[in-house]
Amino acid sequence: MEAIKNALDFSDFPRLDLSLAGAVFAFLLLFPALPHSSFAMATMIQFLMFSLYGMGWNTIGGYAGQVDLGKAQYNGIGAYTTAVMMVRWDVPFWVSMPVGMALAVGWSFLIGYPLFRLKGHYFSIATIATSLVLKDLFEVWDFVGAATGLQIPIRSKLPDFLYLQFRHDYYYYYILLALFVVGILYLNAFRHSRLGFQLRAIKDNEDVAKSLGIDAHWCKIKAYAVATAFVAVVGSFHACYNFNIEPEDVMSLDLSVLIAMMALLGGAGSLWGPIIGAAILVPLKSYMGDWLGAASGLEGLNLIIYGGIIMLIAAVQPRGVWGMVEAVRARRRGGYAAS
Amino acid sequence: MRKLAWLTAAALLAALLIPGLALAEDKEIKIGVIYPLTGGAAAEGRELRAGAELAQEIANSAMADIDMAMAKNAGIKALGGAKITLILKDHQGNPQLGADLAKKLIEDDKVVGILGCYHSSVTKTVAAVCERFGVPMINDSSTSPALTKAGFKWFWRTTPHDDQFTKDLFEFLKGLSEGKAKGVKAVPMADLKTLAAACEKTEWGTNVSATIKRYADEYKFDLASNLLYAAKSPDLSAEVQSLLAAKPGAMLFASYTSDAILMMKTLQSMKAAPKILWGQDAGFEAPEFVGTLGDASVGVLTRTVFTPQVAQVKKVSGQVNNLYKEKVGHDLSGASARAFTGLQAWVYVLEKAASTKPEDIQKACNSITIPGEELVVPWNGIKFATQGEDIGQNVLGMGMIGQYQKKGDKITLEIAYPFDLATTNLVYPFPGF
Amino acid sequence: METLFAELAKSLVSGLIMGMVFALVALGLTVIFGVMDVVNFAHGEFLMIGMYTTLLTSPILKVDPLVTLPLAGLVGAALGVMCYYGLVRFLLRGPMVAQLLGTFGLMLTLRNLALLFLGSEPQIVHEGLLVGKSYVFGPGIVLESTKLAAALLSIVSFAVVWWLIRRTKLGMALTATSLDAEGARYMGISTERMNATAWAIGGASVSIAGGLLVNFWPVDPNVGLLFTMIAFATVALGGFGSIRGAFYAGVIIGLIVYFPPAWDALSNFGGLDWPSIHSFKYTFVYLIYFLIMVFRPQGLFGWKQ
Repeated sequence: MEAIKNALDFSDFPRLDLSLAGAVFAFLLLFPALPHSSFAMATMIQFLMFSLYGMGWNTIGGYAGQVDLGKAQYNGIGAYTTAVMMVRWDVPFWVSMPVGMALAVGWSFLIGYPLFRLKGHYFSIATIATSLVLKDLFEVWDFVGAATGLQIPIRSKLPDFLYLQFRHDYYYYYILLALFVVGILYLNAFRHSRLGFQLRAIKDNEDVAKSLGIDAHWCKIKAYAVATAFVAVVGSFHACYNFNIEPEDVMSLDLSVLIAMMALLGGAGSLWGPIIGAAILVPLKSYMGDWLGAASGLEGLNLIIYGGIIMLIAAVQPRGVWGMVEAVRARRRGGYAAS
Repeated sequence: MRKLAWLTAAALLAALLIPGLALAEDKEIKIGVIYPLTGGAAAEGRELRAGAELAQEIANSAMADIDMAMAKNAGIKALGGAKITLILKDHQGNPQLGADLAKKLIEDDKVVGILGCYHSSVTKTVAAVCERFGVPMINDSSTSPALTKAGFKWFWRTTPHDDQFTKDLFEFLKGLSEGKAKGVKAVPMADLKTLAAACEKTEWGTNVSATIKRYADEYKFDLASNLLYAAKSPDLSAEVQSLLAAKPGAMLFASYTSDAILMMKTLQSMKAAPKILWGQDAGFEAPEFVGTLGDASVGVLTRTVFTPQVAQVKKVSGQVNNLYKEKVGHDLSGASARAFTGLQAWVYVLEKAASTKPEDIQKACNSITIPGEELVVPWNGIKFATQGEDIGQNVLGMGMIGQYQKKGDKITLEIAYPFDLATTNLVYPFPGF
Repeated sequence: METLFAELAKSLVSGLIMGMVFALVALGLTVIFGVMDVVNFAHGEFLMIGMYTTLLTSPILKVDPLVTLPLAGLVGAALGVMCYYGLVRFLLRGPMVAQLLGTFGLMLTLRNLALLFLGSEPQIVHEGLLVGKSYVFGPGIVLESTKLAAALLSIVSFAVVWWLIRRTKLGMALTATSLDAEGARYMGISTERMNATAWAIGGASVSIAGGLLVNFWPVDPNVGLLFTMIAFATVALGGFGSIRGAFYAGVIIGLIVYFPPAWDALSNFGGLDWPSIHSFKYTFVYLIYFLIMVFRPQGLFGWKQ
């Protein structure tokens, strides 16, 4: 009960934030009804996917302050569980998604236990290593299609809500939007939860937190599991959305890094940060790629600008866009800001 | 601050809502073309693009000096001389992006159909989009056998796939031992029997590796080493050491450009001396391969679908090749010739359908036969299978095996297989580095 | 039996040499980390720029690619200093994530600048003293001259850097900065300049390595990441900031990478067959890295934690 109350309790945010969030939500809700190009729709879906990835990453990377660069492996576990169950046993999405989530969380406990003995850079690079090892295994594992991947057969009658197969993207969009809302509410509760407070204490000063009787190691593992669950769900969705998955596609290092980048850019450790990050980087990436990419003969220019923006944010305000907003507010009012 | 926030929001909104500005013109047939114009396969992407654009040019204008039906008149005759417009998109080798671009082409640009995408992994997701929307897609250059095994109703492929290419190789080896190769006496089977293969660990390479194994069993060769390696590897000498330990008569590879070059360099420095060195297209056929390796590439065999040498056997190939050389500066390659053929297939299909409705195009695809003499590639023609295992696959396609040879101070890709098309004597055994 | 020993000997020798090459690539990364705790994601891009420097300047200057190595070093050092003053200096004010973010942006930018101006085709040096040469000795052990040269350069570079840090005043200042930047500042050491020096040394060493490697490896704008990952594993295995550790870790990784052919030889001998082991060679590197990290979190020779 407490958790539900917490989930719906946004009262510690300034009214401006809430009204802006409300406006954005209204926009998201109405977006499919507005005139839009289908590329815009695809971009919005990417935005929602990366928001969810980022929200998940935020629990471990933001609230707990552990820079995890291996999230792609859980995306892969989610995607593969759904695809394998669908291709081999004809199991609907709504069954395979929780199974994938459970498998991913199980795996995260298994490797999280040794992983969290490491700190800082050692931790980050070890997460990359685990993700790459898992990808290498999937690439030769025949049961999951090895490097060829798995192709999900298209069902004869569309739309199919059980198997999440639709002709038009707006179905996918609303399903993601629902997940997105659940994600935000969950994180809002998480923020107020015991674990949330413990994690922030650990992030501020691990030794002090430990002396207060917080089991830092166990807290981090729990946060890691929460992050994993988010990513795995999106992974399951990704398999249905794309109809085809390959290890290189769903478990690549690029994906891991991108998840972390977006959350960091928006502002890790805040509720809105990862969403802001995804809202900036996803459209930037897809539209700039389209406008400035190969079609104009300027190969790479879009990514130069992209890299430049990332560098700029990192140098000016490492707490990301949300950090900037908070800094401006703190200067104005000389004090309080919600996180 | 608040004002700024609203302005940004408004600008973002506007950017999202404005659909691609499509200048509607009545007599225009839009084909969406999705290729890897940037990223790892950008070099191949450029070739593909140039090939498709040349076919577009020929279809859209009357060219008397080219003996092709589509060069006879400007535009699609059956559609009142409508011109073909290509809308090029860059998928960067990313399947997700490929699918998004396909949706954009279908829904925003209202293309009649899709051509692409080179990478089999991207072609898979794009084909799935086309299948859901019921929009026809012709695939010119992806060779994963899985693509035509999915039973898609809106997917047709002009190029032969890896199964056929690999079979060609074994036919070639068998023919070599029977004395069929031009200028080479029958080679004792013992010299060739031991094979060693290295394929990159990707969707494409893994498939090639599996087919090599299958055909090696079928043709009774001894596949002593059949390894997969991590693509874009910083070092391949461990792999080469293992291959050479098997003392192979023939070495077989499936690699993209940078790996292919690295593999050759490593073989060279490890003083490998197999009798036969064969590459499964891709990297071994890229212009950079010869450009970077120079004389070291002489004697290497690669499966291909086109070499400029085809012009000696086929007049129309020479005509198109000259035009291409004028425009781009070098000869048609396997990639550009296939892209050319892919778009050409589109033109003939539209001509036959006399309509841009998907259903009519589907019907036309399933019943069309394009005679071999129309094509730049040395195939028997284009005719898509409508039943059996490979639905949508061109059954008249044919692979070739080419060999790099030195003519004067230029290195050319001569035809070595099919034996009856051979343009010159086969260099056997591989001369070594 | 004889062939078995021959194959094992080949793997051992090649692995050792390759390992030294990996160590050479990782040297710059460990120097920078040792002095200022920054992990440079763009490390491989410095290597790429070194490769392009040699590739492009040797035909223009009409000299052997080897002669252009100092030039590659200069370019690398200049770039390192530029990156420090232009970017890293600001990143240091923030938390660790800022460094990850910032150097990742740097990586994207450098890589795509190369793509924009130099194109995506793989290119390689065609002519030179080392190109395509190799020596055979013993039971068919092949030594490729490029790798041999890189291994020698690796030993020399490590010796020089070790000497620089342990035996010179500059080195002491660098060490002081790495141990306690604030303290060093009070002692009158310009930590700013020390950091820049670390970036210059790091940039120069990896660029020289690149200039040498392009005699053998084709360069393209995306070549960096492969080497960055190996360098990361090398540096972390040896212990961040440990010069000696990076060298040994490089050799260990070299030997791991050459494990598959040795395994092949063994399995042929024993009648086993495991053909896909080759595709696991980097998996072994990451796996062993992970295991060592778990049991010895500061790396093999690390002292910082």
